[in-house]
Amino acid sequence: MRRAPSWPRHAIMIAVSVLMLIPFYWVLKTSLTGENIYAYPPRIVPVDPHLYNYVDVWYLIPFPRYLLNSLIVTAMAICGNLLFNTAAGYALTKQFPGRRWIVLLLLSCMLIPFQATIIPAYLITAQLGVLNTHLGIALPLLSTIICIFIFKASFESVPRSLIDAARVDGLGEWRIVVRILLPLSKSAVATNVILTFIWSWNAFMWPLIVTRSPEMQTLPLGLARFLSVLEDTTGALYAFVVLVLVPGLAIFLMAQKEFIRGLTSGATKG
Amino acid sequence: MSRWRFLGHRFVAVPLALVILIGGWNIYIAFNDDGRIRGEVRDGTGAPVPGATVIFFERNFINYQEMKRTVTDASGAYRFDGMQVHVGQLEARTADGRLSARRQLRLWFRAQNVEMAPLVLEAPRG
Repeated sequence: MRRAPSWPRHAIMIAVSVLMLIPFYWVLKTSLTGENIYAYPPRIVPVDPHLYNYVDVWYLIPFPRYLLNSLIVTAMAICGNLLFNTAAGYALTKQFPGRRWIVLLLLSCMLIPFQATIIPAYLITAQLGVLNTHLGIALPLLSTIICIFIFKASFESVPRSLIDAARVDGLGEWRIVVRILLPLSKSAVATNVILTFIWSWNAFMWPLIVTRSPEMQTLPLGLARFLSVLEDTTGALYAFVVLVLVPGLAIFLMAQKEFIRGLTSGATKG
Repeated sequence: MSRWRFLGHRFVAVPLALVILIGGWNIYIAFNDDGRIRGEVRDGTGAPVPGATVIFFERNFINYQEMKRTVTDASGAYRFDGMQVHVGQLEARTADGRLSARRQLRLWFRAQNVEMAPLVLEAPRG
């Protein structure tokens, strides 16, 4: 029996990929040329491309400061997520009274949009005295429910006998998590890192509310400020967008295999 | 040999490559950021023009404003030092009304040392 040729499938997938990449290409092309995005007919190939728009972005606004703030906040959010979500995910693999209610509570909390919780979140942050600080910006992202369930699903897929053997050998709960479960849950860790990175890196509303000084602003806020300060700088604006996008894309491309594996295991075993 | 295999892992190799790239770039900047802009002023025949005034225009958000000026020496050469800019325009003019076209200056980093192509003076119109 002859197998159907695979090239039509690949041709369709390539065509769809090209279609999906067109906006990225357009942003990149505009950042290299600075041409008017409403120009007609549009030029597909960039004319006289250069990188000076990126130099403008670096110097016209405090880009290094925004970048540093974003990096610090994102690093805090990733560390917090790995710590708290691991602990919560491991706890939910245990049997204890009220576990089912806690799972239901967490699931129902996922239905509440973040915008609805902004006022209490702000009040709590103010009470803690961390308004206008990196910790204050990272606070709501220190733990996310969906990532707790990703860890829970991943930990549950580890054979029970392995954990029992580790316990017989004298390992405590934390060491079981660190030595046994986490090394076997690399895809869950990668998924956590990527999701937290993307959410933290792109966060706009919460940093906008919690920051008071320009020195504490992150990249998305810088982008908004850039728009308000400089009007006629299409090329520099798109260069800014590319600079904001590149770290997220790089992280995703580096860890896409683990990311997809982590998401699918979370979907089938949750 | 296997001790260094972790360097080939993409989570190590990519950040490491970035660190090397950024570090190298910053070292290059550190050795080339005196803000020195040099060049020559010539007339239409290619002869150097001594005593010509060269003006540097700094870009602000809306237009270009004069920032600094200097005069060419006997060989028609000019030089600006300590220019903390990454973009601007240069123009040469003489007392007898000759003027060069404004030359756009775009640098790869602030205060980059640069050797400009000669500014060519044109005869006054009219």
